[in-house]
Amino acid sequence: MSKSNRRRRELRTAALLTAPFLILFSVFFLYPTYKVIALSFTDSPLIGEGNWVGLANYVELFNDRLFYTSLWNNFYFVLLTVIPTTVIALLIALAVSRLKGRTQALVLTMFFLPYVLPVSVVTMIWSWMLDFQFGILQPLIEAVTGKPVPVFKNPYWVMPMIAVVTIWWTNGFNVLLLIAGLRNIPADLYEAAALDGATPWQRFWRVTWPLLWPVTALVLTLQLILQLKIFDQVYLLSGGGPFNQSYVVLMQMYREAFQLNNGGYASAVAMVLFVLIVVVSILQYQLLRIGGRK
Amino acid sequence: MQDTGVHLREVRKSFGAAEVIRGVDMDVRRGEFAVFVGPSGCGKSTLLRMIAGLEETTDGKIVIGDRDVTDEDPVDRGVAMVFQSYALYPHLSVYENMAFSLRLAKRPRAEIDEKVREAAGILQLIEHLDKKPGQLSGGQRQRVAIGRAIVRAPDVFLFDEPLSNLDAELRVQMRLELARLHQKLGATMIYVTHDQVEAMTLADRIFVLQGGHVQQSGAPLDLYDDPSNRFVAGFIGSPSMNFFDAVVEAQTGQGVTVRLTGQPDLPLDIVLADPPAPGTEIVLGIRPEHLAVTDGEGLRVTVDVAEELGGVSYQHGTLEGGDAVIFQQIGARHEMHGTVQTVVPEPGRAFAFDRSGTRIR
Ligand SMILES: Nc1ncnc2c1ncn2[C@@H]1O[C@H](COP(=O)(O)OP(=O)(O)OP(=O)(O)O)[C@@H](O)[C@H]1O
Ligand SMILES: [Mg+2]
Repeated sequence: MSKSNRRRRELRTAALLTAPFLILFSVFFLYPTYKVIALSFTDSPLIGEGNWVGLANYVELFNDRLFYTSLWNNFYFVLLTVIPTTVIALLIALAVSRLKGRTQALVLTMFFLPYVLPVSVVTMIWSWMLDFQFGILQPLIEAVTGKPVPVFKNPYWVMPMIAVVTIWWTNGFNVLLLIAGLRNIPADLYEAAALDGATPWQRFWRVTWPLLWPVTALVLTLQLILQLKIFDQVYLLSGGGPFNQSYVVLMQMYREAFQLNNGGYASAVAMVLFVLIVVVSILQYQLLRIGGRK
Repeated sequence: MQDTGVHLREVRKSFGAAEVIRGVDMDVRRGEFAVFVGPSGCGKSTLLRMIAGLEETTDGKIVIGDRDVTDEDPVDRGVAMVFQSYALYPHLSVYENMAFSLRLAKRPRAEIDEKVREAAGILQLIEHLDKKPGQLSGGQRQRVAIGRAIVRAPDVFLFDEPLSNLDAELRVQMRLELARLHQKLGATMIYVTHDQVEAMTLADRIFVLQGGHVQQSGAPLDLYDDPSNRFVAGFIGSPSMNFFDAVVEAQTGQGVTVRLTGQPDLPLDIVLADPPAPGTEIVLGIRPEHLAVTDGEGLRVTVDVAEELGGVSYQHGTLEGGDAVIFQQIGARHEMHGTVQTVVPEPGRAFAFDRSGTRIR
């Protein structure tokens, strides 16, 4: 068989194998993305045609006080979740990896369990537990602050509590990733380190931490992207209140699109968040890689 | 210089219900090169790791020098270990790998630098100091692992099959380097291997382990010349000793006359101090190099495979009774494949064992 013939056959196979993905990707991702971009330059409602307005939506958005509040809340939320959840997951992973066999599987399952719950169930559980009158966690809050607190109606408590709920909900996945990373570190490195005179503390900082770093960087980046997209928990627990103290960017997009029927403006919000996430996560990943190489 | 020998007394190790080391006594003297050999799973690594302190000792006592270290941490035992997998820290450079223990001990920079460079000089690693382990060849990694041990200047070096991941040529080269290193440092070394040749060439003293016991220990040639049981006789020497079932026919002045089962034509005289009674069933062990081809009476062997190595050849065949036999030929090409040869044991070179494997002397 000639070379060009073979090449053609290979190309046909390649096309055949990639086609399903390319089609699905185009229909459900590329086309909608294009639509959102196009929409953000119009004044169209959610459904139906609108007029081209150029950059008007963006200009309006950058003069919108609420948008800055939302942005700030997003960053506040990232601050409250990303690093804390990674640290907690790492501590849990280190503890769990010391367990053996079935106990380990059991404990791991217990930590992973919240992750399989739908967000509505998670928020329901936590609204009950934190209920102002009957919540079983109120005595705890009372013990610390001296009085019960309606946490989701209190401007200072609302974001931190949503962060707690989010960490509880999603932490199991991070634990799983970190455990996998820990298992990849050969046991004889620890034995060599023990013979070299490393204390458990030194073993962690000089062996575990640097070798686990790629996984830790991955967890941090995934978390950053995920937490910038915060919406469900806010929507279900506090509705963005009180006094917009938990209003986040996606909340604003949701309101503009589905409650105020401003499809164009909502698309502009979505675009800004999209660009923000791309830029921040690339930036972070690069920073983490440099940090890891040092 | 203080005594840095390693002494084990009635040492035992169990993993759960399984007892792996069943009461081992041994003395490795200061500066000696000791080698543990034995079949896979016999507990060589376990014993070495117990000496290193990486496995807890279930029972018994481990003494290094004049200190009882049975319950001490690995770092306090004054031992360094070279792992089969090398266990180099992949994120650190060669230099940092070797400096690791000194940095942990917070030694001054100048001292660290001097020691690392000295070790790197001995091991010819100077130009690789800035590389990561991933950028080195197998032999270089092995040298880094050894360098990491040298830098600590331990009383005792422990090696767990350090050369088994290398190709044959490199293995020979590293073996020589290890022997030189031992001469140079004069430290006590304990070395685990599967490899006959490594054991015979490196060891001052070999410990043959099997079933959680030391079967025999001694200088390599003592074990070869005078094995104390059938296991050691079969294990030391390559290719391994031929074993034949035999029956004692009569006692002579200095020993016995025996006949091999299925070979009634050939009576053999064996010199024994404590000869068993006529009729006793014994096992006769004869090394391949002690079977000589003859024109006269002897054991008739049908050669089916001939391994010609140039200088020597090993002829594999069967006796008329069906027992497998190997005999060695030296020098010229023999073309014995497919022929029937007659061989006789060299006088005085056959070992007698009772049916349970114990040597009859
Ligand atoms: N951590 C452990 N738990 C349970 N059993 C073990 C453990 N480590 C070793 N063993 C058992 O102890 C026995 C001896 O193991 P060891 O690794 O010392 O053998 P070895 O002589 O080094 O073998 P090889 O030559 O194949 O390396 C084996 O039967 C093994 O299954
Ligand atoms: Mg082993």
